[in-house]
Amino acid sequence: MTNPVLSLKAVSKSFGMTKALADMSITLFPGEVHAIVGENGAGKSTMIKIMTGVHQPSSGALELAGKAITLSGTGAARVAGIAAIYQEPMVFPDLDVAENIFISSRLGWVQNKAALRAGARALIGRIGMTLDVDRIAAGLTLAEQQAVEIARALSQDVRVLIMDEPTASLSAHEAAQLRRIARTLAEQGVAVVYISHRLEEIFEVADRVTVIRDGQHISTRPVTEVTSDSMIADMVGREVGNYFTKAPSQTRPEVMLSVKDLACADIFQGISFDLHAGEVLCMAGLIGARRTDVALSLFGIRPATRGAVRFKAEPVQIASPAQAIGLGMAYVSEDRRKFGLAMPMSIKSNITLATLRGILSPAGILNRIKEREIAEAFRKRLNIRTPNVDLAVEMLSGGNQQKVMLAKWLQLKPDLLIFDEPTRGIDVGAKAEVHDLIRSFVANGGAALVISSDLPEVLALGDRILVMREGRQMGILDHAGATQQSVMRLATGQAAA
Amino acid sequence: MNIAPQTLRIIALLVVLALVTAFFASVIPNYFNARLFNRISSSVAIMALIATAQTLVILTRNIDLSLGSIVGFTAFATGSIVANHPATQPLVLVGYAMLVGAAFGVVNGALVSYARVPSIIVTLATMAIFRSFLVEYSDAKSITADQLPAWLVDFPNLVLFDVGGVEFRAAFCAAVAVVLVVHIALSRLRPARQLYAVGSNPEAADMAGINSQRTVFVAFTLAGALAGLAGFMFLARFGTITVVAGLGFEFKSVAAAVVGGVNIFGGSGTAFGALIGAVMIDLIDTSLVRWDLVSEFWREAVLGALILTAVAVDAILMRRLIALRVRREKERNAREAKP
Repeated sequence: MTNPVLSLKAVSKSFGMTKALADMSITLFPGEVHAIVGENGAGKSTMIKIMTGVHQPSSGALELAGKAITLSGTGAARVAGIAAIYQEPMVFPDLDVAENIFISSRLGWVQNKAALRAGARALIGRIGMTLDVDRIAAGLTLAEQQAVEIARALSQDVRVLIMDEPTASLSAHEAAQLRRIARTLAEQGVAVVYISHRLEEIFEVADRVTVIRDGQHISTRPVTEVTSDSMIADMVGREVGNYFTKAPSQTRPEVMLSVKDLACADIFQGISFDLHAGEVLCMAGLIGARRTDVALSLFGIRPATRGAVRFKAEPVQIASPAQAIGLGMAYVSEDRRKFGLAMPMSIKSNITLATLRGILSPAGILNRIKEREIAEAFRKRLNIRTPNVDLAVEMLSGGNQQKVMLAKWLQLKPDLLIFDEPTRGIDVGAKAEVHDLIRSFVANGGAALVISSDLPEVLALGDRILVMREGRQMGILDHAGATQQSVMRLATGQAAA
Repeated sequence: MNIAPQTLRIIALLVVLALVTAFFASVIPNYFNARLFNRISSSVAIMALIATAQTLVILTRNIDLSLGSIVGFTAFATGSIVANHPATQPLVLVGYAMLVGAAFGVVNGALVSYARVPSIIVTLATMAIFRSFLVEYSDAKSITADQLPAWLVDFPNLVLFDVGGVEFRAAFCAAVAVVLVVHIALSRLRPARQLYAVGSNPEAADMAGINSQRTVFVAFTLAGALAGLAGFMFLARFGTITVVAGLGFEFKSVAAAVVGGVNIFGGSGTAFGALIGAVMIDLIDTSLVRWDLVSEFWREAVLGALILTAVAVDAILMRRLIALRVRREKERNAREAKP
């Protein structure tokens, strides 16, 4: 084999207390498509960010063509010939295709429009696409925007091209085209890093496959020597600690939420399940499985276009979050910053934000004493660790922020709690507390729909597990019959339940 | 047929301009004549420069509210130089005005791009500060035309050529020339492309290795220099400079740029569009004065309504256009995918 173009040597990266990468070593050769697979949160994004100079390794080294190199920033990575394209491409909507491609070029002051166009056409042609180079980027499809980004990388003599979930949002036809582009580039001597959750496309596109898990390198093998089962085994093969043990089910006979053949345009289809009072139903799946979209539809943010929903035995058509809340639903978003909390506001203001009407005096003035009482009550009940409830929410740890958000919704006394990634980015102790809160919520007759990408959590929390993949329901597993492998097989489309 | 959206925008603007002129001609007697052009061209000579300066800044997703104060200060500073040294060469004087303006632009640019203070706050503050400099520097005295050399006072009325009473005066021609130079630079120079890129998608600009801080800094500096040039024009046209010189120009310049199709969120727009925007606003302003139906108390309101209409029509038009293109492209792809 030829000499490696880029290698990571025992690279580690920590963010505060969390270790995102541990002793990661990987070697990329020119002319290969190197697939990298792993669960959500396995450390793929951190690895890309180190390769593209966004993050600096905490320890370990990078070698470019055999020489040690420090990538001080994205600019340095680009000069070294390392570029990345993402699921959501980075284009300039107001510039045309040719200008987008050559935006980083440093050649001269005056741009020769004709040469620019010809160069753009040549690069687009090199990846086997056709695209009008005069069009402004605002109207391009995702696939076309990606093509523009790839051409931009090529214009700068790219040696390593990282494709991060490039096909996740593409149609089958476009995805096939993108895989062809990846192969074409490899044949031209580029080292292509291909990150994907679609295991079947890895067999089509990759030469070698590296599996990573929990920030560690697990295996690197030629694609001819792996099977989807072996990849899944490597992806989930962690020792399941006993920090999550499944509590006994408290499922009651009455159905709280019944969903029949729910669909939303071309985002997801065929979602059907019954959620009982006292039950925790977990939704598992990989990025792009569209689990959150199902939740958003149920909660009326993006109403479903087909299907029937019955809530507390009544047929309902939920068209807005206000309606959903009025019926007794609560949705705790995965994005605390954006949709969850008003970060600079106090804990007590955040807790009472959704129920301000309840603490108004007859004259329409906020009753601050009552507000404090409510906040204090939740502080005790949820064990929110804070010196006082006047503290700004942004001062709290992630776990305690999560509890504040939960308190806000619990105050509405919902019957159905939709909880999106309840424990992402919080420590193990806080995780266990959040799990206990969810369990006590259902023990009191509520029903919980929990979206989680954390497989041990799914297995520890879910009385049943609904697995989705690319907008489709792959099956529902009973807790008794579910293992990490069986969930992952469904999530990657290697089996149907 | 594939006309660039910017070209389409300018064509649309010219059509609207013609319609507005036709409308006023039908309601105001003796409206359409050479004097109308002469009057508007004199005031556009100043406003076009400031609108162009504002365009440079808005393209980067920023705003410069201090332009009016820069115009006022440079007008006064240039006037006092030439009053004390009447022998100063004209080009030296112009250079001095632009340098003073650029110095103010440097202050704005440094605070916005390197100290990372939002431009609306920085320039709101510097608008007041620069104006106070003018008050302090002038000692609350005014410059009057009799202190200025004859060549300067005559400059704006100097007629370069005359087409049947329609006079093309030096100041107007110079301003249009500057706008065209900026226009061509914006569309042809590579660094100018980066100006659009920074305003169009700042994150992507960083990823593409564009130094967005420097780009924004340069935009403010150039805007200051252009405002300085406008200050020179202001001095030449009015001769009398008080502490309120250029007051309110910052808002007019934003209005002209936006009416001229410059996207207030950055990333798209042209200098030529801003010029037409300036003409449009001045035309309506001047014409409303002569239209008996609109009382002078309502003039500002009508002008405001016009700005809202222009922006709304522009937004709807562009959205339609893009939707149309996407649809066409989808149809083409569907056709290609079939066989």
